[in-house]
Amino acid sequence: MEGHQRNLYLYERFNARVLGVSRDDVITLKYWAKGLDLTFPLLSNVTSFLGVSANAQPDGRPIFSRRTMIIDKAGIIRYVRDGSPDFKDILLFLKKLNQEGGKP
Amino acid sequence: MKRISLLFLCLFLMMAWLSGCATFETEKKAVPYRLTAQGTVIWEDEFEFLPPPPDWKLLRVETGENDINFGFVRPDPGAFPSLTTFAYDEEPFGCSTRFEDREKEFFKRFLFNAIFHFQILEKKKVQVVGGEGLAVTVEGKDPVKKEKVRGKVIFAKRGDRVVGFYITQWRPIDGTYDPAAFDIFDKFVSSFKFLKKSFYETL
Repeated sequence: MEGHQRNLYLYERFNARVLGVSRDDVITLKYWAKGLDLTFPLLSNVTSFLGVSANAQPDGRPIFSRRTMIIDKAGIIRYVRDGSPDFKDILLFLKKLNQEGGKP
Repeated sequence: MKRISLLFLCLFLMMAWLSGCATFETEKKAVPYRLTAQGTVIWEDEFEFLPPPPDWKLLRVETGENDINFGFVRPDPGAFPSLTTFAYDEEPFGCSTRFEDREKEFFKRFLFNAIFHFQILEKKKVQVVGGEGLAVTVEGKDPVKKEKVRGKVIFAKRGDRVVGFYITQWRPIDGTYDPAAFDIFDKFVSSFKFLKKSFYETL
């Protein structure tokens, strides 16, 4: 998550915003964000419907899978990757998407 | 009016510590470096530095969040855990671009598995990779495990971002540190050059 925090100025450059979704409760996320000095929003979704809709909720487990998704301005999911985020790949994709969005 | 959010990057989080594990290079593959006639190493055409003596073994991590890029390790004489490691880190712990803030963030997590409370022995501004940097020397002791570690972390700038160099030297609690290893580390750092812009500078 620190990687995303470090890249906030680049996400800003590409007109992107980052938010995290977790099954943990608000208090846990608040202290977790404080511990890592995160400033972007973290959503608490204890009932897991967001994870289910994103296919990031493994059966019978109380946590989400680690998944990164990029949703464009039309609400279309353009990028999905599981596991640890590949920040360079994400940034290149956002740059490309932003350039596409800038075209008439 | 400033253009607002066009794209959203959604992260689904698994709230577990996924600690990065440095590994010794064991697989046979093309080496990512070459030696120059001047005795320096050119690493992936991106960095140039003076390597340590041959008794130091290469330490490398392929990918992963918050992992070292590459470094060197040397088992030291003496009882466990006598070992010295130093490394270059493109993404040291923390997020701030101001050295003083980054230092505080960094030491929240530096060697976090060891659960040390570090004592700062020295903190000073230094010149590194052509600019100003911050060097912090620390020591942590674990009286239960009867271990101690001395570390030196040098924060530097590459473009807008902070990069780090660090050395850790582990010893039994009554062991003696080897200052020669710190001299080798200092030579590594002072010789270090960026041969091209970082990925982030090219975006």
